[in-house]
Parts: sequence; structure tokens; C-alpha cells
Amino acid sequence: MSLSHGVIDDQGALAIRAVSKSYQVDGRALQVLKGIALDIAPGEFVSVVGASGCGKSTLLRLIVGLDTAYDGAILLDGRRIEGPGPDRGIVFQDHRLFPWLTVADNISLGLEAANVPIPEQQRRVAENIALVGLDGFENAYPHQLSGGMAQRAAIARALVGEPEILLLDEPLGALDSLTRAYLQEELLRIWRQGGVTMIMVTHDVEEAVYLSDRVVVMEPRPGRISAVLPVDLPRPRDRAAAEFIRLKERILRALSR
Amino acid sequence: MTVSSPPGSFASPDLRHVATRSRPGVLAALTWKRVRPRFWPVAQFLLPAAFPLAILIAWQVTTANNWLPVQILPTPATVLSTFWDLVTGGDIVVNLQISFWRISLGLAVGGLAGLAFGTVLGVSRAADEMLGPLFKALAQVPSLGWVPILILIFGLDEMLKIIIIAKACFVPIVLATSEGIRNVPRPYREVAQVLRLRRRSVLTKLLIPAALPTVFGGIRLALSHAWIALIVVEMLAAAEGVGYMMVWGRTLFQIDIVIVGMLIIGGIGLLMDAGLARIERGMRRWEPARA
Repeated sequence: MSLSHGVIDDQGALAIRAVSKSYQVDGRALQVLKGIALDIAPGEFVSVVGASGCGKSTLLRLIVGLDTAYDGAILLDGRRIEGPGPDRGIVFQDHRLFPWLTVADNISLGLEAANVPIPEQQRRVAENIALVGLDGFENAYPHQLSGGMAQRAAIARALVGEPEILLLDEPLGALDSLTRAYLQEELLRIWRQGGVTMIMVTHDVEEAVYLSDRVVVMEPRPGRISAVLPVDLPRPRDRAAAEFIRLKERILRALSR
Repeated sequence: MTVSSPPGSFASPDLRHVATRSRPGVLAALTWKRVRPRFWPVAQFLLPAAFPLAILIAWQVTTANNWLPVQILPTPATVLSTFWDLVTGGDIVVNLQISFWRISLGLAVGGLAGLAFGTVLGVSRAADEMLGPLFKALAQVPSLGWVPILILIFGLDEMLKIIIIAKACFVPIVLATSEGIRNVPRPYREVAQVLRLRRRSVLTKLLIPAALPTVFGGIRLALSHAWIALIVVEMLAAAEGVGYMMVWGRTLFQIDIVIVGMLIIGGIGLLMDAGLARIERGMRRWEPARA
């Protein structure tokens, strides 16, 4: 199966330039992000790890366009991000499927803004249901799915619009460890198959090392990048390999500084 | 506890999850079927009937012992025979028809207007700021308070009754609808924002389904308000209807007629409420069945 995600025309390059963000709390400015600078190449898999409150989820909200009040610039293929757009999809920690819509209808929502004709729409929904391995569950309602299946439906909803970048906000954080390990493999498969750029926020260092090309370590108060570590290990990666464990420990040290 | 599956063979643990989940459901359905015919018809009627039955007995005992004069509390037998007379004489049918018509029309008019206005208040912050306070102030005025001025405008016609009932329905439905829409969880709104859903889809695929339970609560409340308004207007200005029948019974000091009216209103109200609950269930079929 060939899905025509960005990698072919080399789109999905993200440039984050000196991004800072403050919230007003009790009349005082509370800085949540300070001087974030990061370039992400098309088709790259980048994880962002950090203690809670380091602003990693805020960064994703800025990239997806849910919040446009910040200093600095976030450029996608050279264009400034002004709000949500078809070039970015997001998966939240809670699947956020609409409980009154079936799996297929939920996924179709991801195509609504694209204005594709209905047969094409149905084809792409079916294609993405197959991609995340939910065949046979098209007409199920979210409450009939397990947490892992619901999260896969949420991934399909984010991918069906064929974004250049998929943002993942702790997508596996609420799942049990078995489902989690399984979905990590699935994420890798989807990433390889579609060539979409993936930016994942996680608090699980092992998950970050297992999946990513690079791991971005963030520090809190104010949220800033303290290290960017490339993971130069061939896939499939061995979690028990000495190299893997060394890298994991380096990141954990960087986190606890 | 250990999970003893060889590595690599844990194909789709989350699919397995679903399979095991559905099995107890099938089992439960089977046992249910077997138990039901023997035990349930009795229990199903007995439980809700127990309390009314107790009241009936207390009523019978009270009248039999003359604890209250029969002019104030007629015997159940009197009420039953009055009920029968009213049914066979056709009085009830005529009065019920006209009252039912007024309730239905009032609920439909007030309900639709309430849904529309409540949606506007719920969707638009500007509209809420501009019209909300005035609406809330006017809503505080009880239906009865509107009667004098409405009589001057519309006279004592059918129009007056429909308008008062509609107004009684309008208020709770506006409140429920606007609140239901405003309380749609922010995470879902963000999904709509990220997916850049069209305004119409935001309304039909997010706001309306999410607000539905609250709205139905409002509609059911509106129904009870409609009965109150109906009795009030029929007592004030009518020559037929269940409310009129009750006023007439009171002036003749025939409390049995009043009690028949009360029983009828209670019965019809119960049926309409059950009907609404059924419609609501039909519209919320996506929900997990409550055990």
C-alpha cells in the first residue's frame, strides 16, 4: 500500500525559532516556554520528553495552531503557522472520539475540511481504518472499543486528512503496558508506511528512545530545551542492548539535572 | 500474576480485550431470558405499584373510619364511580381532548422556540451577553404574572392559553439548551477546531448530540410546567378542559371530580414523560446500556 504522505515531495519541514510563551496567572506573567529553537526534517520521528510542567504539551498546541499567542516563529515549509491546518494532525492522550459517532464517522470528520467527493472520502476512510488495523470495527461506537483501539481510531482520524506532520500528545500514556508495547510497533509501522513527520510528547524515556530519530529533553520553569540527543540505533531496536540502555540513562540524567 | 504468552505472539492484545468483554454479555443475555418469564412480570408491576397501593389502602381506611368527612375526602369507590360516569358520559373525553391539544401545541411552540433561542444563546457569547440578562429577568416572572397583560392583548381566546403554556415551556428549554451547549467539553471543541469542521457540522455533529441529555431534561421539566400553566389558564378563563373540570368540581364541592382530574393529569403526565424518555433513548442509541 502506498499512501501519498509528504515524504515524496519532501514536505513537512518544521522550523521553531525562538518561541516563548507566557500565561497570565493572577495578573502576573508566568513563562511556560522560553527560547525554544528546533528544526525538524521531513519524515523525521522526534520525541519530546520532560518533567510535567515543562511546557511540552503547550509546544504541541502551538504547533497544531490551537494557540497562536506566542513570541517567535513556527514555520512549516517556510510558512508561518496561523492556526489549525490540513498539514498537521494531532492525537491527544484521551482519544477524544465523539461518543455518538461510529468509528468510521469519527474518522470521516478528519476529511470534512478537505472537501473530497464522497466515494474518495469513503475510500480514504477505509484505507486508514485498515492502516490502523481496525477492519471490522467501522460501525462500532467508541464505548465498545478498548483504550488501545480507541487510540488507533484517533490516529486514523488524524491521518485521514493526509497531514505532513502528525503531533502525538502522550498518545500511549493512558494504556496498559502490553497494549502500549503493541501500539509502539504500530506507530513505527504507520510512520514507515506513510512517511509522515512525527512529533511525540511523552514522559516515557524508553518509549522515546525506542521510537525516535532524536529525543528532545526539556526542563521546566521556564520550559526550555536542555538537550537534543540523536538516537543512532538501527531499527528494530533492542531495549536490552547496552547502547540502548546507555542512551536511556543519559536522557534520564539530563532530565534530573 | 504472570502473562505467559511467548514474545512476538501477543498479536493485538487490545482486540483480545474486546472479545473477552463481549462474552459475559452473551451469557447474561441467556440467563436473563431463562429467569425472566417466571419471575419478572410480577416483580416488574409489584415494585412501582406498591406505594400507590399503600396510599389507596390508607385512603380507604381513612374514609371507612370517617376520620375525614366524605365531603372533603370522598371514598375511593365514589371517585371510581364518578370516573366511570365521566368516561361514559363523554365529559372526560371532550375535556381531555381539548387539554391535551393545548398542552401539545403549547409544548411544540414553546419548545421549538426555546430550542432555537437556547441554541443561539449557547453558541454565541455576544447574544448571551446581550439577551441573557433580559431573558433571565423575564423568566423569573411566573406564568401567572403574565396573565393580566396577555388577557388585555389577546383576550380570553384559545390564543391566550397556548401562549401561556408555550411561555411556561419556553423558559426551561431555553435554559437547558443554552447550558447544554455551553457545557460541551472543551476537549471536544478543540477537536472540532483542529479538524476545522464547518459551522453546520459543529452544530449537528458536536453541539447538539453533546447537549441532548441536558436538553431532554429541560423538555421533561417543561412538560410539568406546561401542566401547571394549563390548569392555571383553564381555571382562570375556560369553559372546557381538565383544569376547568376540576374548578367546576370544586365550586360544586364535588371533590371526587377534582380527584379524578388529579388522577388523569398524573396518568397522562406519566405517559408523556415515558414517551419522551423513549424518544430520548432512541436518539442516544450510541450510549452504553445502563445495567
